[in-house]
Amino acid sequence: MNHHFTLPNSGHNYDAKASKMGMWLFLYTELILFGGLFLVYMVYRSLNQDAFLLASFNLNVWMGTANTIVLLTSSMTVAMAISALQKGDSKKSIFLLWMTILAALFFLVVKYFEWSAKFEHGLFPGMDHFNQLPNGEKLYFNLYFFMTGLHGLHVIVGGIFIVIVVFKIKSGKVNKDRYQLLENSGLYWHLVDLIWIYLFPLFYLIH
Amino acid sequence: MKNQHSIEESHAEHITSYREHFGTWVGLILLTLMTVFISVFGADLRTITVATALLIASVKALVVAYYFMHLKYDPRIYRVLITIVMSLFTVFLIMVILDYLTR
Repeated sequence: MNHHFTLPNSGHNYDAKASKMGMWLFLYTELILFGGLFLVYMVYRSLNQDAFLLASFNLNVWMGTANTIVLLTSSMTVAMAISALQKGDSKKSIFLLWMTILAALFFLVVKYFEWSAKFEHGLFPGMDHFNQLPNGEKLYFNLYFFMTGLHGLHVIVGGIFIVIVVFKIKSGKVNKDRYQLLENSGLYWHLVDLIWIYLFPLFYLIH
Repeated sequence: MKNQHSIEESHAEHITSYREHFGTWVGLILLTLMTVFISVFGADLRTITVATALLIASVKALVVAYYFMHLKYDPRIYRVLITIVMSLFTVFLIMVILDYLTR
């Protein structure tokens, strides 16, 4: 008598559907997290309209536009990477993921230059120039650094996840039949893009 | 065998074509250029530009969620859940607006 014992998860320890639902549940909390910050922004902007307008002139619209286009493009490459792996073309998938990582780095480099310029002008909360600003402009820069900073943190985390996925595809742990980790990382990356879609007009395009 | 079959079945999912992803990207870029153009050159229409910018951003967000995030082809439950979450956020939004309007 050789009884075959089957685990509820059929012994594979892999449940793509549950994994995906878990990722989406996490993304909902992310939406509410940034949603709360957007509410704070909305209230303070409505109370300090002219100050927000003045402060926004310190940002470079073209750098923001370039970063928007870069993020949208990286969203496309990561979505294509999923299609490629589903079709079994892991080489193309890896190439597209490296393109995504390149875009993430480009985004961060642009952000670095933007933030450096603000530091030089003493606009970071607590610096000399910042301390002399009227309250409305202080609020704008507090929100600017907090929200783009939190978003930048998400870019870094998303990029790290995609690097991990690249190595897992190389080692065969993520493959044509088992690509949920790639899909989840892609979902996270799209969320990063989604949030930037709102940050861009709210901070750069006040005119 | 049965288990293997069910694994294959769960992955017999819709594969979005490269062409569709590219088309989505073109649409998103056009919307981005439009919103920048309106903001930079339509400076006189201040309140209208804010509303337009947010409207365009929301269209872009929907396109990203629907196509790139695959909601269009996912089971209905994902669209239902995101609708609930966005409704919840709308409730927060309305409560905050009412609070500040009645002070």
